[in-house]
Amino acid sequence: MADKDKQQHAAQPERVTEAGITSALDVFRSKIDHRLAASLNSCVHCGLCAESCHYYLATGNPDMQPALKVKLLQAVYRWHLVATGKLLSPLTGAERLDQAMVQRWIDTLFGSCTMCGRCTLNCTVGLDISRLVRAGRSALVSLNLVPSELQSTVDTAVDKGNNMGIAKQEWLETAQWIEEELQQEVGDPEARIPIDQEDVRFLYTVNPREIKFFPLSLLATAKILYASDERWTFSSDCYDVTNYGLFSGDDGAAALIAGRLHETMGRLRAGMLVLGECGHGYNANRWEAPEWMATTPEYETRSIVRVIADFLRQGRIKLDPARNAKRVTLHDPCNLVRLGGVIEDQRFILKHAVADFVEMYPNREQNFCCGGGGGQLSMTTFAKRRLEAGKIKAEQIARTGAKVVVAPCHNCIDQLSELNKEYKLGVEVKTLSEVVADALVLGADTSKQRP
Amino acid sequence: MLPSTLLRAAVIAAFAYALVALAVLTARALSFGKRPVYARPEGSARQGVLHAFFRGMLPWEKESVAGHLPTFIAGLLYHAGVFLSLLFLFLLVFRMRSGIVLNQVLGVAIPVGLVSGLGLLIKRVTSRKMRLISVPDDAIANVIVDLFLGAAYAAAISPAFDNAFLVTAVVLFLYMPLGKIRHCVFFFYTRLVFGVFFGSRGVFPHPRRES
Repeated sequence: MADKDKQQHAAQPERVTEAGITSALDVFRSKIDHRLAASLNSCVHCGLCAESCHYYLATGNPDMQPALKVKLLQAVYRWHLVATGKLLSPLTGAERLDQAMVQRWIDTLFGSCTMCGRCTLNCTVGLDISRLVRAGRSALVSLNLVPSELQSTVDTAVDKGNNMGIAKQEWLETAQWIEEELQQEVGDPEARIPIDQEDVRFLYTVNPREIKFFPLSLLATAKILYASDERWTFSSDCYDVTNYGLFSGDDGAAALIAGRLHETMGRLRAGMLVLGECGHGYNANRWEAPEWMATTPEYETRSIVRVIADFLRQGRIKLDPARNAKRVTLHDPCNLVRLGGVIEDQRFILKHAVADFVEMYPNREQNFCCGGGGGQLSMTTFAKRRLEAGKIKAEQIARTGAKVVVAPCHNCIDQLSELNKEYKLGVEVKTLSEVVADALVLGADTSKQRP
Repeated sequence: MLPSTLLRAAVIAAFAYALVALAVLTARALSFGKRPVYARPEGSARQGVLHAFFRGMLPWEKESVAGHLPTFIAGLLYHAGVFLSLLFLFLLVFRMRSGIVLNQVLGVAIPVGLVSGLGLLIKRVTSRKMRLISVPDDAIANVIVDLFLGAAYAAAISPAFDNAFLVTAVVLFLYMPLGKIRHCVFFFYTRLVFGVFFGSRGVFPHPRRES
């Protein structure tokens, strides 16, 4: 389909045809494996998940409770994919996937869910609600009904190699600038930003937002890597840790985007893929990409958070917490923590990097989503709702009395920065690398051997 | 053949039907396919499953439960009433005598379970939030189970209600695979999957907390 047609069809469920519905159902069916089928048979509609959802908590709108999202998916599953579904529909609420249902799916699955998984964790049964929501989103992909802004982010990544469409030349110039800044900062004219080095210990990949808007966070990471005397490299071609196919539900695009990093790893023969501070980038590349690509990578995939924690444990970097005197709290990105399993390393780092670290409550895998995940930051259509849903996070932050919020995720940082303005929190929002770089003691005895 | 004997046979037949139907439903769910897992695990799926079925079931481990203790307790009591009624049904069908102690337990637990079930039904009907997520099956399943509990209680008090109890049991077993009561099987299935997922990703059992 031509791009123009794509745009015209975007979010216009009234143009959905019967053939389109059939195709969407085929996709929906293909996304339901035995685990999701079990989930769809398990929901008892107890409604206890409602208060685990930041959308429901912030708005009090029962249309946003997770059980309703499940109910909408269950209705279609029962009508179309269960032999007795139509017959028992007066009993079980089975419903046909038609234009009205498609509209409800768009509004509910895209418009009031960040796929953060908090409802799954707190479901009395344990339904995989975020994965169910993604299965519904996948069906909408086949109808070309992904909200246009999110679709555009995916398309840009597919077409241009990164989600912001940053040209290679611009990336290389930014890397050059970072190198010069690094040399000044560390007082070492030999300090380098390695590009396309082969056989190094790891390939480090970044969020394109850093290149475009936050190069100082890249500089911070470069400073840490310099101090650790690590052998690493950037890639000149592949500089996007994000994968919005995770959020749009488009496995084809997701596999293509993830495959590029995989190919780059093979080309550079790097020992490890290290992912920049990006929650969904971690979930996508560490956990989902092997499934999308149907392969188990030979290399290890780690978050930079874990790498920095290891530097500290191995004595390869030294930090002075007094250099970060303000009270600091930590936001746990859902895709990194609850869905990713990186839970304690960021805490270990902060306890060494700042003088006054305070947890927000709840935290770790029970932490509330900031509201920026699930592609919400891309979907300006739902921006008002996103900011409203972020109220829960804003209240969490305010209760800590912290002056700095650390978030090891650029998506979260964007949302937290907006919440900072919206709710007048008066905090600074920083990446973990920035806080660590601020505390870094250069020239300290870090003679312990690297692995 | 006496009506009570016929009813006992009907209960056994209905139970067998329910078992077969639930097995078919489980097979149907399995037929959706098991995808190979390519991502290397970081934690232990086994530990995750153990956590999901034991510690993870404790009220303070689930915010949804901790925040709704009355509903959670009502649910527990409701299910306790159901299990005891099923035990009582088993004894009745196979003409075994329930002891004095069991009778006393039934005399308390079943009505408490019944009241809890009715309470949950009232909550579902009166709350807009609950009505939005409900389908007719939610109410019908509750009413069928409530009738089963009510009849069990009546039969525990007087043998005159034995046949009524057996009839409600037949209805319960016949209805079981049609609606939400199928969660008697799928709860364990989903919980298992839940434990494997979060266990493999190292999310729980709760991670190594650093002091």
